[in-house]
Amino acid sequence: MLNIIKDFWFLFGRLFPFPTKPGLRQVGSPDKNSPVLITANFELTVRQVINTLNKDGINAWLLVANTRGINVWCAAGGDNFSTDTVISALKSSKIEEMVDHKRLILPQLCASGVNIHSLKKRSGWQGRFGPVDIKHLAAWLQSGRPNPPAEHRRVLFPFKNRLVMGTNLGVNTLLFAILPLLLASYWLPGFWWKSLLLIFAAAILNCLLVFKLPGKPGLQKGLALGGIAAAIFTVIAVSALHLPFINLSGWLIWIIVIGAYLGYDTPSWSPLWRTDMKELLLGERNTEVSVSPEKCIGCGLCQNVCPAGVFGRDLLSGKSTALHLERCQACGACVENCPAAAIETNFEGGICSCPTCQILNKLK
Amino acid sequence: MSTLVYMKILELSPASYDRWMRFLTLGRVNHIKKEIAANWINPGDNVLEIGCGTGSLAALMTKRGARVTAVDISAKMLAEAQKKVPAADFHHLTALEIDQFPQDKFSRIVATLSFSELTIAELDMVLSLSANLLKPGGLLIVADEVRATKLWQRFLAVLMRWPLAIITFLITQQTTHVIKNFEARLTAAEKFELIQRHEYLLGTMALFIGRRSDKVSSGAAAKTGGGVPC
Ligand code: SF4
Ligand code: SF4
Repeated sequence: MLNIIKDFWFLFGRLFPFPTKPGLRQVGSPDKNSPVLITANFELTVRQVINTLNKDGINAWLLVANTRGINVWCAAGGDNFSTDTVISALKSSKIEEMVDHKRLILPQLCASGVNIHSLKKRSGWQGRFGPVDIKHLAAWLQSGRPNPPAEHRRVLFPFKNRLVMGTNLGVNTLLFAILPLLLASYWLPGFWWKSLLLIFAAAILNCLLVFKLPGKPGLQKGLALGGIAAAIFTVIAVSALHLPFINLSGWLIWIIVIGAYLGYDTPSWSPLWRTDMKELLLGERNTEVSVSPEKCIGCGLCQNVCPAGVFGRDLLSGKSTALHLERCQACGACVENCPAAAIETNFEGGICSCPTCQILNKLK
Repeated sequence: MSTLVYMKILELSPASYDRWMRFLTLGRVNHIKKEIAANWINPGDNVLEIGCGTGSLAALMTKRGARVTAVDISAKMLAEAQKKVPAADFHHLTALEIDQFPQDKFSRIVATLSFSELTIAELDMVLSLSANLLKPGGLLIVADEVRATKLWQRFLAVLMRWPLAIITFLITQQTTHVIKNFEARLTAAEKFELIQRHEYLLGTMALFIGRRSDKVSSGAAAKTGGGVPC
């Protein structure tokens, strides 16, 4: 029951940290040779990891790092899941007394915060990045391969996740908008609750349509969303509620504004698109990633850590090249982990681009 | 006055760190740092500072004639600190990695506002590492946010903590914590004796002075702290 309440909360409040106790946990009955995993102390993450491992019958040591209750990716982007965090978790748990090896499996999405080379140097532990989603861990461990298959190293955005994004986007918009809306309701009675309904309806519509909407992610898709929402609103209002069309014009403009805002903010909540003011407003892509062939030693780590499948391998030289720049989310994982400092970008890596982190960066 | 709710922003912004700290603690932090340097540090002391931030205390202690070694996990802060105090020796290390310094090396170990950032298991471990690094009779000097002991103070603290905590939560998604039962943790396993405790800001901040207990055998690698797995 408690878990159901928590899950309900996560539907709306995922942007808030939800810490659970850090420290070492046993999953199943691990022994001296069992794998050691690490994850963030976000309640939902820890519960999902333990449930999945139990279901798949895996015995493991699970280190819950103190990321201040923030999920893996956000924590890594915001300096809360860093090499230091991992070292502190390893040392304070005394895991070294529990196992006969020093191999640590890290969630791939912490790669923008954790540098496995300096981890090795400072702690002696050999880090490896597992799959993005814990449900693919068992298959990877059983395969005995050094890395999870490429399709399990990509971040996807299925409908279920889009829905969670939609509700959270709605709630976040409300946080910003509620005061002005209430104020406006002084002159326009009922404006605030009607706007709330519209915001949520548009956010849900956005989840359904975001890939189908024309235009670039950001303002362009937002205007399209607003247009479609306004059209649906008109049809319902005129045909079902028999409102005269002439009275609707103000609302139609308002709906387009709401749609535009939601569209503009969508990339911040998606794991697929970068949040860059200019990019979102003008629709121009200005993300640059390049690999210097002279420096690259062909270790392939950038290909393993990139959640967007940006890198490919040059068959002749064995070195990496940045092939699909349009997919890059500027997470900085490649830069953080390249052992040869061979990757150049035109953005500062490791700085998350969601609204909250952006505000934080502005305050710096 | 739990004021240190902006800790996280501060950690990331070396330039404004000192200014903010002064503001958030109503100037107390500077006062405590001056007090530490003046009353507890002697010329010639070998000091380890855990979580040095931008080095304002390191500067005071160096001026007093101590040799300062300091660790912090923020590269930006360390760069700032190195500029401020060229004579001190700065390392990018977590508090748990101080065991790479030689045992019995330091006569003072100092931590201001950094122990409250640790988990309980981490804190216990850092305390026991510190006991090993201190010379016999060496002092551990800790200033941090604590839970007020008197009920009315606690009530006031909660009243003041909440509004700040909510604002911080919204902006930074961070919370800061107080160290609970620090005295008990400090004296557990007979590693330290508490020799002084001062309170500030209605009992919400405290300065603890612990002396390494004679029961810690010099050089013995008693490297175990608290924290039971699972
Ligand atoms: S760019 Fe860096 S991480 Fe990628 S293969 Fe080359 S050396 Fe390795
Ligand atoms: S190429 Fe872009 S998305 Fe891929 S790891 Fe580097 S910064 Fe992240």
